[in-house]
Amino acid sequence: MTQSLSKFVKELQAIVGEENATDDQAICASYSRDQHWHFVPAKNPAYIVRPANKEEVRRVLTFANNEKIPVIPYSTGINVRGLTIPVHERSILLDLSRMNRIVEINPEMKTATVEPGVTFGMLLEKTKKYKLRPAFPDAPLTASVLANYYLRGIYQTSAVDGHDHTLSYEMVLPNGETIKTGSRSLSEMPYFRYGVGPDFTGVFCAHPGTCGVVTELTAKLYRLYDNRKEYFVGFDDAGTPRKIIYNLMHDELAASIRLVDNQSWLKGICGTFDYPYEKLPKFVLCVLVEGVDGIFEAKDKLVQEYITESGGTVLEFPEEFKRTFEEESLGGAEKSCMVFGLRGNYHCIGLYGPLTLAAKYYEVHEKTALEVGIPQDHIHFYINPIYSFHGQLCYFELDIFYDGGDLGFGEKLRNYNEKQFHRLLDLGIYGWFRPYAGIIGPTADRIGYLADVWKKYLRILDPNEIMNRGKLF
Amino acid sequence: MEQERKDEILSAIHHCVKCKLCSISSFHPNAEWLPLCPSGQFYGYQAFYAPGRMEIFREILDGEITEPSEGLLKSVYACTLCGACYERCKQITSVELRLPELFEEMRAELVKKGWALDVHKNIAEKIKETRNAYGEKYEYKAKSPDGNADVLYYIGCTARYRVPEIADAMLQIFDKLGIKYRVMNEEWCCGSVLLRTGQVEAAKELMEHNIEEIKRSGAKTVVFTCPGCLMTFEKNYPDMGVELLHSTQFLTRLGGMKVKKQGLEVAYHDPCHLGRDLGIYDEPRAVLSTVADIKKMKREREEAWCCGSGGGVKSAYDEFALWSATERLKEAKEAGAKALVSACPFCKRNLKEAADKEGKGTEVYDIVELVNRSLEG
Ligand SMILES: Cc1cc2nc3c(=O)[nH]c(=O)nc-3n(C[C@H](O)[C@H](O)[C@H](O)COP(=O)(O)OP(=O)(O)OC[C@H]3O[C@@H](n4cnc5c(N)ncnc54)[C@H](O)[C@@H]3O)c2cc1C
Ligand code: SF4
Ligand code: SF4
Repeated sequence: MTQSLSKFVKELQAIVGEENATDDQAICASYSRDQHWHFVPAKNPAYIVRPANKEEVRRVLTFANNEKIPVIPYSTGINVRGLTIPVHERSILLDLSRMNRIVEINPEMKTATVEPGVTFGMLLEKTKKYKLRPAFPDAPLTASVLANYYLRGIYQTSAVDGHDHTLSYEMVLPNGETIKTGSRSLSEMPYFRYGVGPDFTGVFCAHPGTCGVVTELTAKLYRLYDNRKEYFVGFDDAGTPRKIIYNLMHDELAASIRLVDNQSWLKGICGTFDYPYEKLPKFVLCVLVEGVDGIFEAKDKLVQEYITESGGTVLEFPEEFKRTFEEESLGGAEKSCMVFGLRGNYHCIGLYGPLTLAAKYYEVHEKTALEVGIPQDHIHFYINPIYSFHGQLCYFELDIFYDGGDLGFGEKLRNYNEKQFHRLLDLGIYGWFRPYAGIIGPTADRIGYLADVWKKYLRILDPNEIMNRGKLF
Repeated sequence: MEQERKDEILSAIHHCVKCKLCSISSFHPNAEWLPLCPSGQFYGYQAFYAPGRMEIFREILDGEITEPSEGLLKSVYACTLCGACYERCKQITSVELRLPELFEEMRAELVKKGWALDVHKNIAEKIKETRNAYGEKYEYKAKSPDGNADVLYYIGCTARYRVPEIADAMLQIFDKLGIKYRVMNEEWCCGSVLLRTGQVEAAKELMEHNIEEIKRSGAKTVVFTCPGCLMTFEKNYPDMGVELLHSTQFLTRLGGMKVKKQGLEVAYHDPCHLGRDLGIYDEPRAVLSTVADIKKMKREREEAWCCGSGGGVKSAYDEFALWSATERLKEAKEAGAKALVSACPFCKRNLKEAADKEGKGTEVYDIVELVNRSLEG
């Protein structure tokens, strides 16, 4: 048996304990790849470090900064974008999963304060007794609440909760200083987003580990209502449902609104592969209504009226499909990963844009995919409108389900991306789902001086460029 | 490894999305966070969860890992092969290969490179010498076997040499029920421990011997109290034209036992090989419910928490094995059970050891012990 304990590991072990830092090749290999490997090739971190608390995080960062060792923050590693796969040699992967304390659930304030290792499942287990829930992404409920909210995502209940659930957080910088955002900077009350002056909470958000390490975050919680009802409405094209989506959003009637095609995400929403989905209309609008007595009935009545005049067909699904949709939306996504069961792997471009362009986004998605040789039946799509719908804000996901074992397919996907980023930018989008190197490259030229300012500001926070460098610029 | 097989394995590994849903039991509808992977939960690094272990296998197959580092050996061998991860994965993302089998093949690859654990090599040595996994010299003596009986009881190494109360109970049950049975003249280890630890070649001789003996005996049914042995006979042995039954299947089929319920409140622990590997969930419960009151634990059946002793873990990583057992004992207690009952000598041994260490008074039994106690003689 061989053992190579480099000088660095010994120093790291002195901070986090012998059991919690290693440079063992096999242990490092286990963090070497995620499902985006056709774009971000496998690479082993040089060290895995598992701190137990903020002080250990601070000491690891200070050490890495002094030694100029790259650091990759990792909460649960479920990001599907290669964001925790090293770019540089000698990287430390900072596995924060041991930091899994729910620091506070405050039912009066409707907030939860969590460490990075707290997952959506862990959080709901504790909030449900107050009839509260976090906003759930479609990401599996094993994902980190902190990392997901800090990155800002898209949620099952974006139609009512919006897409930004972060109130404030604490972030350790490479120089060992701690930044507290929002009301945290002024008091022990972390419940307000806009503490002093600019929205600093927002400024550092949505960075893929490129500013510092977030060690604690306070997030919004939302009410769980007893009254719920689900509808599934079929459409033959992506354009017709625009009107009903607009109406439901305009009148703020539904908790969850998702337009999906009949072959992909719908299977997870219904929780089974075993149903003749191909016989359904090509697009299905899934709507969940909830609310307190009185308001619920009134909303439901309006929803029914809008459905009647939508031009779609109400689909009679089995009760368990409805229950699964409800559970996935309000209780955390457990079935969404079924999309991987379709062909094995999944690629998507996620973007924000106006509902008015829905049909165009779908059209260009299909066109580009077919051009690069992706078969029609691999091409999928969904729309998730976002509260409060100013600018008809929606999240669009242009999906391709494929078999990752088919190595040639990776080339097609890369061609697809190359063309598609530019086409979408030309068509007009509000923004990308999240920034990552592959998407920032073609975009940076178009954002003018903002790109320079962005880079400079990252350099101020991280002058030695140790924070997950290469994942943005 | 042949290229075709390698490609199949790599393809399955490529399909793992790293969702880690295999690390917890089904969340809906109770919204409870219940860990399911003992090795990941105990050791924490990604390497000890199924998705991380698969990436290590990928690097082994791609020839990137060239040395048996401490971390490599631990991540490969400190997995109980309980299969809980696969039960979850197959409901969700459909990674097409059974994960415990994948991890077994990973071990076989390590063995081919000469990277087996010393403790497992020692077991192989003992088996070579004594034909049993514990290196014991003496033979287990059954009191009243009948050389012509149709039923053959395959005792297994653990019930012979470490948990003999299980073998005793089973034999007494046969006697009390007036069932003619026999045991093998020379019962050799079934080979399970070798196969599970990747020492595939070493198992061949044992299998050949046992096949020969069983065929020669003319028995029509082989009864097992050890699910590990039963699983090995079912999956690794060729069809011998005899019926293979677990004790609880045998007793269920027999029916009509005159038993007195003892009023003991128990929880039933599904042994991994019996449940997840062989799909035998109902018969143990049916038998147990005739002699005790069963309290339901949170993680049961396909999503049962492993006792911690399988896959060569007990011999190599006893601290981990006992921790896993202690977690299970806590769960039984939470369910309101006074005793934790299993249907496997491996489980009983590990759970009992953990219970004795804890000293909190949870009793541990095998189903056949309770049946024997309740059976009117
Ligand atoms: C089937 C499926 C569906 C999905 N659907 C959605 C969806 O609907 N909505 C959605 O939002 N996401 C979705 N995702 C994407 C993704 O899984 C989640 O957004 C997830 O929360 C991000 O991964 P993570 O929390 O595990 O973070 P990690 O993978 O650990 O990290 C992601 C990035 O954040 C950085 N980071 C992590 N922790 C910290 C920290 N403490 N401080 C600073 N930086 C940090 C990392 O360096 C990395 O760059 C989906 C994923 C899957 C598999
Ligand atoms: S459930 Fe399957 S796909 Fe998901 S991490 Fe586990 S093994 Fe991989
Ligand atoms: S077989 Fe059991 S111990 Fe091994 S990875 Fe799967 S769940 Fe974990």
